[in-house]
Amino acid sequence: MATKEKADRNAAASKKSSGMTLKRRQTIVGMSFITPNFIGFFVLILIPVLFTFRLCFSRWDGYNPMEFAGLENFRYIFTHKVFQDAVIKTLIFTVCSVGITTFLSLGLAVLINQKLKGIGIFRTAIFFPYVASVVAVAAVWQMLFQKDMGLINEVLRFFGVADPPGWLASTKWALTGVIIVNIWKSMGYYMIIYLAALQDVPTSLVEASMIDGANAWQRFWKVKWPLLSNATFFVVMMLTINSFKSFDLIYALTEGGPGTATTLMSNYIYNQSFVSWDYGRASAAAMVLFAIVAVITLFQFRIEKKFSND
Amino acid sequence: MKLKKILSLALAGTMCLSLLAGCSGGTPDPTASPNPPANSTGTEASTPVNEPTELTGTLKVSVWDMTAAPIYPALIKGFEDAHPGVTIDPIDIPAADYGTKLSVMLNGGSDVDVFFVKDADTIYSIAGRGQMTDLSSYIARDGVDLSKYAGMDANLNIDGKQVALPYTNSYYALFYNKDIFDAAGVDYPSNDMTWAEFEELAKKVTMGEGVDKKYGAHFHTWQACVQNWGVQDGEHTIMDTDYSFFKPYYEMVLRMQDEGICMDFGTLKSGNIAYASAFADGSVAMLPMGSWLCTTMIGKIESGESSVNWGVATLPHPEGVEAGYVVGSTTPVAINAKSPNQDLAWEFVKFVTGPEGAKITASVGSFPAYQDDEALALVTSVDGMPEGAQEAFKVKHVALDRPIADKVSEVNQMLGEQHSLIMLGESDLDAVLADMAEQSKAIQG
Amino acid sequence: MLNKLSPWKKAGLYIVLILVCVLTLLPLVWMLSASLKLDKDVFRIPIEWIPSNPAWSNYQRIWDQVPMLRFTFNTFKITVITTIIQVFTCSFAAYGFAKCQFKGRNLLFLIYVATIAVPWQVYMLPQYSMIQQFGLVDTHASLILLHAFDAFGVFLLRQFCMGIPNELLEAARIDGLSEYGVYRKIVLPQMGPSIATLVIFTFVTNWNDFMGPMIYLNSTELKTVQLGIRMFMGQYSTEYGLIMAASVVSLIPVVIVFLIFQKQFVQGIATSGLKG
Repeated sequence: MATKEKADRNAAASKKSSGMTLKRRQTIVGMSFITPNFIGFFVLILIPVLFTFRLCFSRWDGYNPMEFAGLENFRYIFTHKVFQDAVIKTLIFTVCSVGITTFLSLGLAVLINQKLKGIGIFRTAIFFPYVASVVAVAAVWQMLFQKDMGLINEVLRFFGVADPPGWLASTKWALTGVIIVNIWKSMGYYMIIYLAALQDVPTSLVEASMIDGANAWQRFWKVKWPLLSNATFFVVMMLTINSFKSFDLIYALTEGGPGTATTLMSNYIYNQSFVSWDYGRASAAAMVLFAIVAVITLFQFRIEKKFSND
Repeated sequence: MKLKKILSLALAGTMCLSLLAGCSGGTPDPTASPNPPANSTGTEASTPVNEPTELTGTLKVSVWDMTAAPIYPALIKGFEDAHPGVTIDPIDIPAADYGTKLSVMLNGGSDVDVFFVKDADTIYSIAGRGQMTDLSSYIARDGVDLSKYAGMDANLNIDGKQVALPYTNSYYALFYNKDIFDAAGVDYPSNDMTWAEFEELAKKVTMGEGVDKKYGAHFHTWQACVQNWGVQDGEHTIMDTDYSFFKPYYEMVLRMQDEGICMDFGTLKSGNIAYASAFADGSVAMLPMGSWLCTTMIGKIESGESSVNWGVATLPHPEGVEAGYVVGSTTPVAINAKSPNQDLAWEFVKFVTGPEGAKITASVGSFPAYQDDEALALVTSVDGMPEGAQEAFKVKHVALDRPIADKVSEVNQMLGEQHSLIMLGESDLDAVLADMAEQSKAIQG
Repeated sequence: MLNKLSPWKKAGLYIVLILVCVLTLLPLVWMLSASLKLDKDVFRIPIEWIPSNPAWSNYQRIWDQVPMLRFTFNTFKITVITTIIQVFTCSFAAYGFAKCQFKGRNLLFLIYVATIAVPWQVYMLPQYSMIQQFGLVDTHASLILLHAFDAFGVFLLRQFCMGIPNELLEAARIDGLSEYGVYRKIVLPQMGPSIATLVIFTFVTNWNDFMGPMIYLNSTELKTVQLGIRMFMGQYSTEYGLIMAASVVSLIPVVIVFLIFQKQFVQGIATSGLKG
């Protein structure tokens, strides 16, 4: 497929181009598409990011000259119990959030991708948690999670749970509570991505499969799902990264507590940078986060390649 | 393509270099930074100016709560009225993020001239980075009487450098609801009461059930509202590495929580219950809280939001400690070492922390750090202040709730995490206190 | 014919959707209710969903205490400009990454994605120093620049661009269209729903951004809505009634933008290249 494409293009290009090699032409054209964005990205994002690579091997208070610190920052965070716990909790948080949110957002997108009266209202309503102010969201969920009078425990008691958990006020359940709110808040966002991707599924394909007698379930898995692979890749990637970086919502809900029950890596990084003003340690922790995400990303890229080669 | 590559690499190189210069070059000459006024005031000092002739210029001053708190607009206006040639350009920063933004500005090389420091415990690290001008030479030049600060200035003297001066203090006191005491037929709290007596009293005035319940006492969710009573005697600080001195107070508050004398921590947290609202709507008999609550309560009564008949007494004291030993904090103001307007900035600092500033501070119901005979009388006679306030706020010693030292913010953060574990009854008190000590040692190295 | 659902299925679908929406709209209802309460009643349990004595004055006070109109205008300006730059440059770059062949393409793309994974807190300070050196602190340009070149947009659009069948592009190339022509005439019209998605996301992110304006803006006349809302949160007391009223008001533009662009998600609007 790829070679055929190249050959075709070779033929097309050689007709026009004289003197300039095809490869060079392609590179210049490709670059010209990327350049406007890349200039801004390079200066404003990439340089500061590269800077943190240097920071993680340095001692820096944010102001005075940096000192080279070797691996000292890494030694510190790896022997810091709060950080070790944070890594484990972040992994739990991420695995649960990514799995459940992907499933729910895809399900909702399929449900809502219908021509029904008032479907726009439902779409807006489901997207709403994502736009709602974090302060309001945190306040509502704190009240819903209340141990004695909260709505959630009332419901649990109704279904016969004698001793419902204390949720955000309990070290055992706080992480679960935070995961639930996180999923609730982000599913509308990823639903939109799936919804947009579903628009690209050609109706003709679906209709053809219906004529073949496929039921709704088969139609989804055989026809739509393969065409959603690019979107799924994006959703899983962004969910992974965002779960790893998740900060605002958790901070508003629990401030990382009780104790350090919901202190995730991003919270740890925040504390190192804005409470301790220790940029070396903050960057070292960020590099660990980055490394984990990078491994997952590369793994997913491989899967994506496999998909597109098939 | 090759050219492009080289170009982009060169560009990257120069950008990186200039960036490094930008970040680490915050202090152009690091050896000069610890004592910046030496050069800026050198000429000034040799030709002493006693009565500064007409001051002119613009000062950038970073503050918080410009809309919510009357003190900053009042201080700024006071200074501008006294020096018509000077314009103050305030940078209003949200209170919750003040420390973050201030440090980012200072680190990034901002040209803010004067900054108020919201949390005194951040002073140590700001001064440690060399971002505060040493005021000593100015103080000597203008003959500022440091004894007027009743010892608070010493806290702001780091390694022999007076890096800031205090303009307002706050002390914890005991706020009470007279209506509840009247209904229970119990005498109002006195200015000389131990914490044990306080607990007894709270038991007596707890009454009612359900929505009408009146709680004898209220402890806000801050760790300060328990841990502060441990450092009140002036002998311990939160930087100690043995926290057994917190134990009696945790036991007291947990006991009161169990007996339903005060609201339970979990409920307060999950309901976001503000101490001021709980007190203002009359469901709490006694509330140990900082003196800033005076301003809040006066405002709430004025606006009709509350009709509580409130009073204030001296904070209860530990057994064996004199009455009037209280705990509190000070709020300082400092000059950015990089400010190009050092002399003018000092005039502002001198005004705010001196007698004129004290009068303005007192007139809006805050306690000035500059103590003279007038100050206390003025602040306690502000409209709406309850009778007996002057007696209640007569203090003998103020222990800082958070001392000014290295790593205070980190220790404080850790103590806050552990506080919630104790208050939720999740873990054994002794175990948590031992863990606190362990972690504190690790943080302080 | 896809949409012919049996009445039973239709009813079931409605019930499921209504249940989901009850859950998702709960905070909106709470916000509305809290915005009509006095501070002391906001967190009272059990929740009084319909305030018996609504404090309509909250909606008056937010405009009186803080220059909200100015802030709304500022936020609108920043958000719209950022969104336009982002959509324009990202769709361009996305095509380059998805459909142009050149050396180093994948590596470059990987770098883009990698930066998304670095937490903002750690590179915020170098970024600030740089903006300070450009002399852009305390200007709207600083915020626009920071958000317009976020790698997220490139990643999102590239993923959608990948889905456009190569056969379609080849056909256009053979017809003599240049790469730019292919982008403009073939690719751009195909990307409707995905550009709508990016517009919605960029708009929402910028509208709700708090940290950026907090760090970069000093002057009151330049501030944004989210900073205005924070002005009701004092050091010792927070006016929750006013915060909620202001939050409700600030939601309106976001909802309008969403309602406009979500029309792109009506099934069947997208004309796929493989049709016919």
